Amino acid sequence: MSLPRGSVPRILNKMAVKLTKEIAKKIMEVKGEARGIHFKNDAEFILKEKGKEGLAMVEKELEVLGYPIIYKKISQFDFYPIGLRALSLLAIQKTFAWSDDEIKELCKYAMNFSWVIKLLMKYFSSIEKVAQETSKTWSQYFTVGQAFVKEYDLEKKYAIIVIKDFRLHPVYCRCFEGVVPGVLNMVIASKKIVCQEIECVFNGGKEHKFLIKWQ
Amino acid sequence: MAVENKEAEKIATLLEDLDSLENYIRDLFNFLPLPVFLLSPAKIILEVNPAFEKITGYGIEESIGKSVEDIFNAEEIESLIKETLDKEFIKAKAISLTTKSGIKIPVSASTILRKGEEGDVVGYFFSLFNLTDIKKKENELINTQKSLLNILEDTETARKEVEMERNKTLSIVNNFTDGLLVFDGKGKLSLINPQAEKFFNVKKNDVIGCSVAELSSFPEFPPLVEILGKEIKEVFREELIIKEHLNLEVSSVLMMSEKKRIETLVILHNITREKTIERMKTEFVSLAAHQLRTPLSAIKWTLRMLLDGDLGQITKEQREFIEKSYISNERMINLINDLLDVTRIEEGRYVYKPVLADIREMVQFVVKSYKEEIAKKKIKFSFKKPAGKMPKVLVDEEKIGVAIENLLNNSIRYTPSGGEVSITLKSDKKEVQLSVKDSGVGVPKDQTERIFTKFFRAPNVIRLDTEGSGLGLFITKNIIEAHGGKIWFESEPNKGSIFHFTLPIKEN
Repeated sequence: MSLPRGSVPRILNKMAVKLTKEIAKKIMEVKGEARGIHFKNDAEFILKEKGKEGLAMVEKELEVLGYPIIYKKISQFDFYPIGLRALSLLAIQKTFAWSDDEIKELCKYAMNFSWVIKLLMKYFSSIEKVAQETSKTWSQYFTVGQAFVKEYDLEKKYAIIVIKDFRLHPVYCRCFEGVVPGVLNMVIASKKIVCQEIECVFNGGKEHKFLIKWQ
Repeated sequence: MAVENKEAEKIATLLEDLDSLENYIRDLFNFLPLPVFLLSPAKIILEVNPAFEKITGYGIEESIGKSVEDIFNAEEIESLIKETLDKEFIKAKAISLTTKSGIKIPVSASTILRKGEEGDVVGYFFSLFNLTDIKKKENELINTQKSLLNILEDTETARKEVEMERNKTLSIVNNFTDGLLVFDGKGKLSLINPQAEKFFNVKKNDVIGCSVAELSSFPEFPPLVEILGKEIKEVFREELIIKEHLNLEVSSVLMMSEKKRIETLVILHNITREKTIERMKTEFVSLAAHQLRTPLSAIKWTLRMLLDGDLGQITKEQREFIEKSYISNERMINLINDLLDVTRIEEGRYVYKPVLADIREMVQFVVKSYKEEIAKKKIKFSFKKPAGKMPKVLVDEEKIGVAIENLLNNSIRYTPSGGEVSITLKSDKKEVQLSVKDSGVGVPKDQTERIFTKFFRAPNVIRLDTEGSGLGLFITKNIIEAHGGKIWFESEPNKGSIFHFTLPIKEN
């Protein structure tokens, strides 16, 4: 088990969300694509939590930024600029002044909704299988970066997942902290699965490294 | 460039199709009325439909990622998974789930194994069918069945009790000293006990099912049929002589249910012995009375001659003694006569000589003979008779005279001095009625039923007057009934009595 390299910044909190056209433009310059299911998930969660009006507010925010998203028209199977997803998350966080935990919840919600995840459910038979299929699963979602399980110990009940070549925005790090327990929850019948980023490219790290512990 | 555009169009079409397909599957999944869920090999719920949410009470977010054992009985689900692994699918196995609110629901689960491309197990599809209503109906049916079994058991117990009771009754019937016949609602003989078989000299199998008319063809039955009639009327203690030395007393009881005759019970009591004893007694009384009457008559005439001075003069004191002896002797003679009348009545020798007579004259004749007695007791006497002409009645004058005399004699005797006695006569087209009313001692309530029986004298009467044989009213009743009339009375102790009799008016 690798030791964490310094503390991972928690820059995204209610007070710290800063989203301007310039920031948006910079984010949009990141190369790569993500599946439309991410946007669908965002929309479904907003609809559940804030209703249609909430979703309209997010769409308005994105429109102001100059990168409008009509969530309804997004195809969950199609690929969209990866930066647009980061903007979607940031716009949501900004609009509703949500904390990191709420962003994690939003990303975890994908487990309930994502059709792509349902297609990948065949890999959720065991930790070994998940570990084996992580890279493949990643490529189902993103055209950039790569993910893999670096190590896991079923007896000590932990795993470390690494995401390489993926530098988009710290909001995505929080998102992964929500998604990963969601995925693992499909394999481990535990109500207490905790995921924490222990190394981050935005904090001098070489890669993103997530430590997952369960009981 | 054109090729790239073409490829992009194809991809766009495929994506659209995928979206449509996804929507279609989602709609179908959501529409399914049966609760459906997908389970991972690690027994974690991966997917549920709205029907599952509804039956368990767990929302989709609560269900997904949940261990299946949190909702289903661990042993049952484990067994079901094992069976699914063995057979690849299971149809309709009963298990139970626990809802979010803790309610246990019985369900029928069907499963199918989900395999990956390499044949490895990647999960299980489950579909559930809520058995609550069925179980409820099943329980109701079980309860109904139990109730029916209980009823059946009760019925069986009741049947056995009835059978026991029936056997007991049958045993009583078969061993009963009286003969018993039972006729069903249609008048057919349904039961005859051994005693009755003996009386009528028949075999049960020959007579069961016969109507009264059909029974007439058996030699011993006609006298009974004559008493009962074809409709089998109700009779009480009618005497039936089947043959010599076999006297029966017949009573029939109509057994009714909701005003409808269901059966008729005929009881045949053998009174041959009683009749023989009675006859012997009567013969003895008759003989004794006859033997007594002759010397009493001789005494009477001798005393009469003494009183009349035919045997010489007697002193006043001697006369008083002889008169007392004469009166006592007269009483003895009257008693003997009464006894002889009774024996005649009982032997059927109380001969009647009917003639057309005027009852008013008969009453006047009797009243006249009691004039002195009435005056002596200062009784206020009245004779109320119709103003017009009364129809004559066909009667034995002497016997009816005895009847009137008995009633008047009782009234005068048991009415204190200064009391009231009246005789009333009236008539209509069918009968004449005579009533003798007094303000005497009356008949005690508890003695009314015995008033017309032989030798009966009420205790209050015995206290008043030691005389009287207790035969008067018995004789009177027999006389009136022998004339086709009726006799009855009304009485109140210490206030008086009123005796009535009627006689039918007949053409000569």
